[in-house]
Formats: sequence, C-alpha cells, structure tokens
Amino acid sequence: MFQITDIPRLLPEILLLVLALLVLGSDIFEKWGRTPEAQLERVRSSASLTAIGLGLVFVIALLQSAYVPGTRAPQGPVGNAVLDWLLTILRNLQSGGPGGEPVTGAFATDHLTMIARLTFIGAAFIASLLCLDYRPSAHPAEFYALILFSTLGMCLMAGATEFIMAYLAVELTSIPLYILAGYFRNDARSSEAGMKYFLFGAMSSGILLYGMSLAYGYAASALAGNVTANDLTQFGRVAQLASDAGAGSTLLTLGMVFVIAGVGYKVAAVPFHGWAPDVYQGAPTPITAFISTASKAAGFILLLRLLTTAFPALSGGASLADLGGWTSLVAFLALLTVVVGNLAALPQTNAKRLLAWSSVAHAGFVLLALVAWAAPQPFDRDQGAAALLYYLVVYTLTNLGAFGALAAINLIVGGDEIADLNGLARRNLGLATLFTLCILSLAGIPPLAGFFAKFYVFMAAWQGGARWLVVVAVITTLISLYYYLRLLRAMFIAPPPSETPLPAPPAIMAAVVVAVVPLIVVGLFPNLILGVISRVQTVAGM
Amino acid sequence: MGLFTLPTTIPWLSLIWLSTVVPAAIIALTPRRHAEAMRWTGAIFALLSLVLSLLVWLAYDPIRGGFQFIERLEWMPQLGISYLLGVDGISLPMLVLNGVVIFTGALMSWNIEERVKEYWVLLLLLTTGVYGVFVALDLFLFFVFYELAVLPMYLLIGVWGSTRKEYGAMKLTLFLMAGSALAIIGMLGLYFGSGLRTFDMIVLSRSVTLAGDLQRIFFLPMFAGFAVLAGMFPFHTWSPTGHVAAPTAVSMLHAGVLMKLGAYGCIRAAMWLMPVGANLWLPIIAVLTIFNVVYGATIAMAQRDAKFIIGYSSVSHMGLVLMGLAAATQLAMTGAVLQMFAHGIMTALFFAVVGRMIYERTHTRQLPELGGLRKVMPFAAWMFILGGLSSMGMPGLAGFWAEFTIFLGVWERYPLIAVIAAISIPVTGAYILRAVWATFDGEVKNPEFFKLPALTWQERTGAIILAVILVVVGIYPAILTELISTGVEPVVAQLTGVVVAGR
Repeated sequence: MFQITDIPRLLPEILLLVLALLVLGSDIFEKWGRTPEAQLERVRSSASLTAIGLGLVFVIALLQSAYVPGTRAPQGPVGNAVLDWLLTILRNLQSGGPGGEPVTGAFATDHLTMIARLTFIGAAFIASLLCLDYRPSAHPAEFYALILFSTLGMCLMAGATEFIMAYLAVELTSIPLYILAGYFRNDARSSEAGMKYFLFGAMSSGILLYGMSLAYGYAASALAGNVTANDLTQFGRVAQLASDAGAGSTLLTLGMVFVIAGVGYKVAAVPFHGWAPDVYQGAPTPITAFISTASKAAGFILLLRLLTTAFPALSGGASLADLGGWTSLVAFLALLTVVVGNLAALPQTNAKRLLAWSSVAHAGFVLLALVAWAAPQPFDRDQGAAALLYYLVVYTLTNLGAFGALAAINLIVGGDEIADLNGLARRNLGLATLFTLCILSLAGIPPLAGFFAKFYVFMAAWQGGARWLVVVAVITTLISLYYYLRLLRAMFIAPPPSETPLPAPPAIMAAVVVAVVPLIVVGLFPNLILGVISRVQTVAGM
Repeated sequence: MGLFTLPTTIPWLSLIWLSTVVPAAIIALTPRRHAEAMRWTGAIFALLSLVLSLLVWLAYDPIRGGFQFIERLEWMPQLGISYLLGVDGISLPMLVLNGVVIFTGALMSWNIEERVKEYWVLLLLLTTGVYGVFVALDLFLFFVFYELAVLPMYLLIGVWGSTRKEYGAMKLTLFLMAGSALAIIGMLGLYFGSGLRTFDMIVLSRSVTLAGDLQRIFFLPMFAGFAVLAGMFPFHTWSPTGHVAAPTAVSMLHAGVLMKLGAYGCIRAAMWLMPVGANLWLPIIAVLTIFNVVYGATIAMAQRDAKFIIGYSSVSHMGLVLMGLAAATQLAMTGAVLQMFAHGIMTALFFAVVGRMIYERTHTRQLPELGGLRKVMPFAAWMFILGGLSSMGMPGLAGFWAEFTIFLGVWERYPLIAVIAAISIPVTGAYILRAVWATFDGEVKNPEFFKLPALTWQERTGAIILAVILVVVGIYPAILTELISTGVEPVVAQLTGVVVAGR
C-alpha cells in the first residue's frame, strides 16, 4: 500500500519531475526573439535553471542519504529555534533515506537506489554544464527538459523491483534520449543517430518485455490456477517461486536470457552493440557523454538488481568446469565485449568514435563484476556488487570528463578527428592535461581512479572462477592502451597546425574539472566512495 | 647500529617520494617564462631526495637487518591493501642509486629548452614512481608506483627524444605495460591462492601459504612481468630502441634505474613470495640469461650508433644481474644487486657523455662520423673511458666486484653457464675499446668539432659525481656488499629452505 510517509522516500524523483516541468514551462516566459542574442538568452536561462536545479536536487539527495560524514541529523532539539527548525526538516528528509521495504512492492529505496540516484543526478548535472556552450538548434527548454525526464527514468530504473515498473522506467529513460541523440536535425549524422538509436531501442524493449512476460508466465503457472495474486511481477516473488520449485525451469531460463539480451542492448554489450558507435558519434557530444555514462550505468544497475533478486536460483558458475546459469552467459558476453570493443577501437581515426568503441569495451569490464556471483562465498558476491558500482561511478565520471573535453575541443577546433587534436598541448595545455587524465583513467593507469576500478573488477571476476576471462581482459587492457596512447600522441607529440592559443569555453572547462578532480582524489583514496558503496551489500536483498 | 639514529616520528620514506612530487606540483604552477627557476626547483628537490635517501641509508642498522623505517597506514583494509613502506639491504642501494641518477640527470637536463615545464613535471613524476617502488612493501602499492614510473616515459621519449622517437616510445610503453599485465595476473593468483587476502608482502613471505602447484603456475607471469622491464631475453628488444630514442636524462634514468626496478621486482614479488615456483623456473631462466649476456654483448659489437652500443651493453649487463638472481646463492645474489647499483651509475655516466656531451654538440652518434674527440673534450673522454673500464670489469672500479661476485656465485650453482657467459667478458672489452677508439682517438675527423661549445659546469658536476661513486665503490665495495648481503639473506634462505624441506 502506498502511504503518505512514502513521499519523502521518492523525493528525488518528485523533485526531478517538478524541475523538468518547470524548465519546460519557464521557456514560455522568455523573450522569443529571432535574433541570435535572444536565442542565446533563452538557451542560457534554460541551461542555468537546469544546472542549478540539478545541483540542488543533488545536494538534497546527498543530505537525504546522509553519506557525507556529519550530515546525519542528531536526535533531540539543540535549543536554537531556527536551527531546530532546520534540523526537523533534515530529520524528516532523512527519514525517507535508504532503507525500508520497497514502496508498493515496486520501487526499492535502498542504498543501491540512493547511490544510483546520486550518480545519475550528478551525471546529468555535469552533462547540463557541458551543454551550456552548446547551442541546441530550436527550443532549448525541450532539450533540457528531456535530459531531466531521462534522468528521472534512470532513477526509477535503479529502484525498480517489479517488471512493469522496470519496463516503464526503461522507456522513460530511452525515449527522451532517442530525441536528444537526433536533436541536430540539420546534421545528417545526428539524424541518423536518433533514428538508429530509436529502432534498436524499440527492438530491445520488445525483447526485454518478452523476457519479462515469460518470467511472469512462469510465476503464474507455478501457482497453478491462483492467478488472482497481483504480486507475480515482483522480482522477489519470481525468485521465491523459482526456489520453491527447486530445479530450474526452461521457461524461466528463457525469460532470463531475453531479459539479459534486452538490457544488453541498453548497455551496449557485444553482440547487442551495433547501434552504439554510430549513435555515440552522431549525437551532440554532451548528449553522447550522458548516454554513454548515465544511461549505461542505469542499465547495469537494473541488470544487477534483476539478476540477483529475480534470478538468483539461476546464477550458475563461470569457470570452464561448471558452465550454466546467468554468470556463464554474462561471462561470455563480457569476453565478447572486451575483445570486440577494444579491437574495434584500434583502427578508428575519429576521436569520438574511438571513445565510443572504448565505451563499448568498458561495458565488458563492468560485466566482469557480475561474474562474481558464481563465487560460493557471500563475501565475494558482495565484492562483486561493490566492484560493479565502483566501476560505474568511476567510469561515469571519467567518460563524462573525456567526452566533455572532446566537446570543448570540437567547439574550439571544429572537429573531432584524431588529427584535430594535433598539438593541442601547445595551444591549450590545461584542456590537454584534463583530457589526458581522463584517457589515462580510462586506460587504467594509477594513481587515477580507473586503475583501481579495473583491478577491483578483475579481483571480483577472478574470485568468481573466470580466471581465463580475467587473463583475456588484462590482455585487452593492454590493447586499449595502444589506442589511448594515440590520443596522447596527437595532443603532445604531433606538431600543431598553428601556435595560436585556443581558449576553451569556461562552462565546459568547469564541468570537465568537476569530473576530473574526483578521479584523482578517489584514485588516491578509493575508500571515500567504497565505504558508501559497501553498504549496498547489506540492504539490497541479495 | 647505523651511523646515527633518525627520529622515528618523521615518515622518512614518505618524505623521499614526496620530495619529487612537491616540485612537480610547484613547477606545474610556475608561469611558463620562468624556465630557469623550474630547472633550479627540479634540481634542488632532486638533491633533497638524494640527501634524504643517504640519511636513511646511513641511519639503517645493518646488524639488526630486516625491514626498517616501516610506515603503515590503512588504505583499503577490507581488501587487505595498506600503505606499507620499509627498506632493507636490497632497496637501500637502489634508493641511493635513484637519488644519484635523478640528481645528475637533472643537471644533464639543463639544456632542455622546449616545453621546459612539461619536461620537468614528467621527469619528476617518473622519479616518484621509482622511489615508490623501492620503498613499497605492499604488493598493490608496489604496483601502483610501478605503473606510475612507466607511463611518463611515453611522453618524455615521444616529445623530447631523437631517432625514431615515436616508435621507440610506443614500443617501450607497450612492452612494459605487457609486463605489468603479466604481473597483475601473478598478483591475483598470489592474493587469492594464498588465502590470506592481503597484499602485505611481509605477511605473504613470512609463511608462504600459496600451494606449490599454484606457485609453479604464477611464478612465471610474475617473474616474466618484471623481467620484461629488466630487459630479459627475449623481451629485451624495447630497451635499446627506447634508450636510443630517449632524451639524455631519461636514458640515464631508464637504463640506470628503471631496468633495476624490473630486477628488483623479480626479487621482491616473484622469488621472495613464491620460492617453490622459483626453484622450478630459475634454472630455465638461467639458461635464457646466457642469451642476454653473450648475445647482447655480441650485438653491441656490431653497432655503429654509440647509444645503441650502450643500449645493448645494458642488455648484456642486466643479463648478468638476472643470471645472478637465477643462481640464487648468497654470493650470486649479492653480486647481482651490486651489479644493479654499479651498472646504474656506469650507464648513467655513459649516457651523460654520449647523449649530452657529444650528441647535443656534434648532433651525431655514428662512430664513423666521430673521432678524435679526446682532443676537443678531454674531460668527456676520460669519463667515458672510466665508465668503459668499469663496464669491462676493471679491478678498482665498481663493475669489477659486481661481475666477479656474480661469476663466483653462478659457478657454485651452474658452472657450465658461468663458463659460457664468460665469453662476454672479452667481447665487452672489445666493443668498449672499439667505441673509445672510434670516438675519442685518432685525428679529429670533422673540423667543425673544434668549434664545439665547452662543457658546462652542470655537465662536469654530474659526471664527476658519477665517476667518484664508481671509484669509491671500486676501492671499497664493502660499504655496499655488507648491506646488500643482509638484504639478500632472507630471500636466499627462503629459496634454500624450500629445497631442504622438499616442499
């Protein structure tokens, strides 16, 4: 049953919805002149409203989570009237913090959801900063509102504990992104990206829905007649019926395979990656940054929750000796993804496309973490969940920074071929350094955060028994280093076409700095976020 | 007792690696026009790191032995990763070696005019990584520093190098990263196989709980991973190419210290932690090192580029180090570590003379185009000859004691290998003498040489420091050997203990 006290638990989502409507509505009151100045004015106001709003929502969510040490509201009044009033608000806010049963059995507000929300809202914040200097062609408010609606969808995806909810959240996430990818209507590549993304996305939704219906069908037939029950689409219920039945069922397994395939499209795992390079390359760069990070992370978090709560009975093993179950399937997908993603990135001459393929490859590394479920010890499984989340958070920051830097380069140089990067270090050392740090973090070079993320994922998969997979993944990391170094070569070694300095737009630079600074800090002190992430294990019902 | 005691409240080892991070940050924030200030900052902090290393060396108590100056902080306790530093008789000479080479390297970098800021920042970061590896006792931390030491090299060679620099840089980076990929696999095997769930090398070595079979599997990637950096045959090809392409200070650091870092990793991470595996693989490795020693020397004989000669001679000399390690007797390993030190100093001197004094002036390193330089720059000639004599194993210089001890030790274990490897001694003599003769003797080939600018004080100071160390260690090697022997002892005991127990 939905209760009025559940409202604070949904506060971040509610705020996102309100903000999205506000942004959409605010544009009406702007001056609708045809001059470029008036256009710019409209862009600026929508953009700043979005960025400030997202920043506020992020802070509120952070306060609600009480993850930052010292923000947990103390019990009892402190005497000062104003302070007490504020403390009461904080206490009420935190009463809706992580914990409790899922709202109406469909939406969990546990630590996993909370961390996911923070990641998505943070990513949307950085992405909206990146858009500040990027002028959307027609109606700016729609552009930003779509980002917000998509973010809302992602938050719902992370918390969904029920098939219909999960499906609706996936759609709410994807449909705005289809539009955003094709936002530059006059640009053939952008239109192509939007169209391609939409077609692939629609198909994958169908596959996902089919898998879900099979799982529902299994649950309904397991009860043999008692189909009046209305909780058969809940993840936990399906898992419970499966474990009651004992032996695995073909129907459920088939449903699971379809679900993995459907989400596999969303996260662009090989062989479901066909759309990714073209969409990433064609979409406006800030949107690429958003799609390749937040949307992918949302997919993985949904996958984690689905597989571990709906299909725990089918987890199977990942070592060559005992194949079967979803860990084997995931291990196989991971193998394909790291190999194909990294090899395909090698011959690219376009920096954006190169990073697109590298994003595909990174999906493979995230999948490695899921393989940890093949380990017999609960401790190792928990490590898998922590490794997955850590990787997602770090990867989100890194890729936002990398695509953000590329967006800045695109704006000031006018292209995103690798040759356009030539000699950037002589013309804008700051930007080149930031981009380099992102690239090195993607390549997994210490002391940047990407190194430990990769290492942790390797540890998780190793303990899951997929040793050969880890060996292959380590080799592909080495391959990836070659193409990452090519970007470095272009920026630092290749001669510049001219020596004139290229100042970058401040908003983009600020966004990239916001993404890069945590890479160094978290790289040096991984426990800053690992401490929070490790809380996921105890709550998520795994 | 050490010569004196240092207050234990100060984290000396952290200070050492911090003393190269701090100037990197300062230089990064210095405005571009103050190039001279950047050089001074870099050089002074490099000197500071050398002084700190020397202090730690002098205060180390060789009688008590073992690890001293231990610093331990929790880093990721849930995974058994800690910030654990400490030094013993093996790492101390390496620390000092790194200090000497970075300081003299900094002096030799004075002529870098292009993109001074980036150069110094990268050079100092590279040094930080090297210092870190030599003081880290946590395998994970060790690895973090190791990779930090490798990557700046790519840009240093790619931007400021010469002769096929981009190819050399890429080849070097990929080889070394391949090595580190192998090492990661070894680390994971060790971490999970031992069941201890810790990267603390002291704990891992105290009771080796990794099953013998697993040791035999994972020793190989671990050893090979680091041996790539030590230039072991057949993974040595990156080394001459890289050395030739690199700018002088980087060649000095690279051949002088980084290759030692590989050998150090072989001792620390592979042999020490997986003795059973070591006993299986070391004889095979010993055979491979013959190729290093003899083949490296022979190839050096055939080179025309002076830097290639030194590059291949490094392969040959590092082969001796690895051969000493493979023999794994007390004597051989002491010799190996001493050779690491002696070769580091000597090679740094070589690259300083050839790369900085000669190439930067004449713009050629081809032996046929050089000649008679002794008349033009007698100082450089004498320095080169001194290094050459040490390289040939001339008594009275550091190289002699190192090679002599290695050969004695290897003879104890594998007499046949010692005999075959001894072929390299006359070959080394031949190529060194050939290089000396072609470069410095005879008439001045090119009249332009008379107009070459004089050596700067930085060049002279740097070279003199290196030369003095070669002579001092040559006259009185015990200042190092006693220390090294205390450090080597536990590793040897680990290896022989295993043989006796028949595990």
